Amino acid sequence: MSSSRESILAAVRANRPPATALPPVADFGGEASVERFTEWLHFIGGQVVRLAPDQPLEDAVQQLFPKAVRIASNLLPATVPVNGQTTTEVLEAVDLAVLQGELGVAENGAVWVPEANMLHRALPMITQHLALVLDHRHIVATMHHAYAAVQHTGAYGVFIAGPSKTADIEQSLVIGAHGARSLVVLLR
Amino acid sequence: MNHPQRAAVFTSDAERTTWHDETLWFVRQKRDKAVYAIPEFQQLRQLASDIKEHTLSRLDEYLEQFERNAQANGVQVHWAADAAEHNRIVLGIMRGVGATSLVKSKSMLTEECHLNPFLVQNGIAVVDTDLGERIVQLREEAPSHLVLPAIHLKKEDVGETFHLHLGTPKGEKDPQALTEAARLHLREKFLVGQVAITGVNFAIAETGAVVVCTNEGNADLGVNLAQVHIACMGLEKLIPRTADLGVFTRLLARSATGQPVTTYTSHFAKPAPGRQIHIVIVDNGRTRQLGRPDFRASLKCIRCGACMNTCPVYRRSGGHSYDFTVPGPIGAILSPNIDLHQHSSLPFASTLCGSCTDVCPVKIDIHTQLYKWRQLIAQANELPAAKKWGMKLLSSVLARPGVYRFGGKVAREGLRLLPHGLTHATAFNPWAKARELPEAPKQSFREWFEQQSSIPTGQA
Repeated sequence: MSSSRESILAAVRANRPPATALPPVADFGGEASVERFTEWLHFIGGQVVRLAPDQPLEDAVQQLFPKAVRIASNLLPATVPVNGQTTTEVLEAVDLAVLQGELGVAENGAVWVPEANMLHRALPMITQHLALVLDHRHIVATMHHAYAAVQHTGAYGVFIAGPSKTADIEQSLVIGAHGARSLVVLLR
Repeated sequence: MNHPQRAAVFTSDAERTTWHDETLWFVRQKRDKAVYAIPEFQQLRQLASDIKEHTLSRLDEYLEQFERNAQANGVQVHWAADAAEHNRIVLGIMRGVGATSLVKSKSMLTEECHLNPFLVQNGIAVVDTDLGERIVQLREEAPSHLVLPAIHLKKEDVGETFHLHLGTPKGEKDPQALTEAARLHLREKFLVGQVAITGVNFAIAETGAVVVCTNEGNADLGVNLAQVHIACMGLEKLIPRTADLGVFTRLLARSATGQPVTTYTSHFAKPAPGRQIHIVIVDNGRTRQLGRPDFRASLKCIRCGACMNTCPVYRRSGGHSYDFTVPGPIGAILSPNIDLHQHSSLPFASTLCGSCTDVCPVKIDIHTQLYKWRQLIAQANELPAAKKWGMKLLSSVLARPGVYRFGGKVAREGLRLLPHGLTHATAFNPWAKARELPEAPKQSFREWFEQQSSIPTGQA
């Protein structure tokens, strides 16, 4: 195995093109507005709900997901406790996960969710529905600003942009492929 | 069979060919809409190209930096010189943890290495979890597109396949219902998958993280429920910095499908407690391509598929006509590096219109490389006899004005006098397969011009 390592690196050294400079980190400005974020998230099949300053999260969740029974969350009283050791069987039965999003991206509706906010790495995808709570002041214009703000992507982290989807059958868009069937961003 | 022969099989169904053509053109139009909405898009393409160029120029250093950082993250890094070694490494990891089942998200590299048949032969149950890939896997076909693996199929075909394998009602062809059936079927597989394989869209040298982009969420679901994650990557997937992802994530989905970004952009660096991540770095001809100054830019490719969506030949001949893991224009410049003889017809599957080059998000000069491969293929004596002698004949005619003039006269007279069945016999004249030749003019341009110059001017 190590011999392949050496031979590959030797071949790269022998064959690499003349040195060129690494361009400086890009930044193109752009509009970091709630309106733009909302527009794009709707475009990709998600939903934005603005919470009143004093509105309890539980009330909003209850209104939006009246049928959700098995709820996993560290932001409101949960009905299913989830942590890193939770078994697949328990995870699989979760109706709704309510998690904290760190950062929204106005140009595409994506929300940064680091591992620390997930309770279990599989939860944001295995849950039937996903709600992400986001501070409206934490919306940036583009992916350049998003990576600048995130700095290090950590042990595991995901930009989630809308619900899981596919168009693999005749290019017909179907929402709810393998991951969450719906995505709501609750803006504070 | 060569590309024209396989394409003939595809185009024998005219209705389906038209549908395929229009569907991919629609994806190209969605790409345009997304691209025009970003004023700095052309600057982003240049940046992406420059970042990749720089990375290739110091690739050995970035590979070592990546390996160091990945190992510090608790990841096991493996190196594979070729497909066979890659496959052995994957099997070795699976045997090491006593696993017999595998869930796999999209990875063109494992297609390139023919990993699935190898694992199946060795008693491993392999389930492709991307919907399109699952469809073609059940049908025992290869993907026909980089990002739309089942684009050659109609919903009726998928309905039939699912009826056979997943027990959906006969005649069910609603994409919503079929996708729901696949969701339920694949969830069962996710829940019991012991090992998950993913491809890699980007590998970040400064953090040792790998980034995987999907719309379905199948990569994350598979990886985060399995004990072991194996990420398989070609060594050209490296980029230096996390910040460079800002450039590439803005380009990838817009170029591929016209989406502003993929649904999931997932960054895997450290295994969860008690679990494992393995990264397999594969050469399989890439260092050889790196050593070809005319062709090394093909290693910048981020596998978005924009070049195939726009290609007039791909759209009308289908992905399977290329008979190579990566079809379309990019496949036609990657494949001769792997096997010049076997893939010698692919660089000719192009009109050299340059549309592929225009849409490429990392500015690969695809059509120039197609042209250059043609020269090498001719030098290697790999042209079909008809093309080789046809070209020789044509160049000798074009080099002799007298012969050219005589030939023109013969053709004009011949077209007028010979029977249609002869001038349009497809055995000699492939042009006439779906076309009429124009009516032969009475005189050549030269004759007409000489006539004009003999008329006195200035009198009008």
